Amino acid sequence: MEMQSHLARARGLGSTKHGVGHWWAQRLTAVALIPLSLWAVASAISLGGADYATYHAWISELGNLVLMLCFVTALFHHAQLGMQVVIEDYVHGETAKVTLLIATKFIAIIGAFSCIVAALKVALSG
Amino acid sequence: MVEFTLPANSRPTKGTVHKAESGATNVRAFHVYRFDPDTGDNPRIDTFELDLDKCGPMVLDALIKIKNEVDATLTFRRSCREGVCGSCSFNIDGTNTIACTKPISEIKGDVKIYPLPHMPVIKDLVCDLNQPYAQYAAVEPWIKADTPPPNRERLQSEEERAKLDGMWECILCFCCQTSCPSYWWNGDRYMGPAVLLQANRWIQDSRDEATGDRLDELDDPFRLYRCHTIMNCSNTCPKNLNPGRAIGEIKEALAKRL
Repeated sequence: MEMQSHLARARGLGSTKHGVGHWWAQRLTAVALIPLSLWAVASAISLGGADYATYHAWISELGNLVLMLCFVTALFHHAQLGMQVVIEDYVHGETAKVTLLIATKFIAIIGAFSCIVAALKVALSG
Repeated sequence: MVEFTLPANSRPTKGTVHKAESGATNVRAFHVYRFDPDTGDNPRIDTFELDLDKCGPMVLDALIKIKNEVDATLTFRRSCREGVCGSCSFNIDGTNTIACTKPISEIKGDVKIYPLPHMPVIKDLVCDLNQPYAQYAAVEPWIKADTPPPNRERLQSEEERAKLDGMWECILCFCCQTSCPSYWWNGDRYMGPAVLLQANRWIQDSRDEATGDRLDELDDPFRLYRCHTIMNCSNTCPKNLNPGRAIGEIKEALAKRL
């Protein structure tokens, strides 16, 4: 039975005092992803069906490598920020929520590092 | 986990049909949500046929006519009957609004009147608003100033006063609050559009000296940032206010001090 006052429940555990960071990061990555996604899609189309040597030459160019790393970082960061909001919105069981939130972060980190390491490995190999 | 089944009493059944008196020519049917906590029976939708020639123009007039002449047990809140008290807020014709300023003529076909969505129903059209009231109290909606008050009122320029327009008019009917999906899913932690509009009314007030503290209290992923700019709040407001914009102003203030 809950005999807590309505005001105590409304105040709850208090403000975390760091909501704006998440919100700002989500918008910054969204803005960054507009040109980066266009660049990534255009590159994928122009490289479609090319052999390994062509890809190797392309990613070895410093500009392409830097943009690729920016794209991957922004993409995974934005995706996990968005997934976190969706999970917080709709999943209300505490165990399921925390499990899903941790899994989302881990998957995003594994995905991002896999892409970064792959890009660097190809670009830096002779 | 996500709940896929509806809780008990979520599906109202068909209730009693009260026919219009014979000889009535301008008849309109009103379908009204009924729930009696004393019986605990499943909620039902009663139908009341009214002669609009013998009824006032607003939906509230119809409800009062039903209570006076057809079924005195019909329970609903009302007071000022002119859109300033915020008592008679219901879901009318699928949209939250206040019954006293909603003309029956604006509604095509039968008139459906339900309690505000997603709030615990106390009886018939009366829902439990303790949670939003407590959230309103939690934002401490009064002036806070360390500067001692002058011998007269605290002055404000016309421009400073203009910033409060669109917020002071709020009557706390909670039409916006209960129209917001984010508030439905996370109302225990999300403050909701009505309360955030009130919070912003004090954040924007030039006479208030606690702006930083107020922003601290709202800088939270749930209290403020559950707002995903769905904008049901601004669509439904019977006073034509814009809670969505007020929330945007709070986010802007928080971004400014990053």
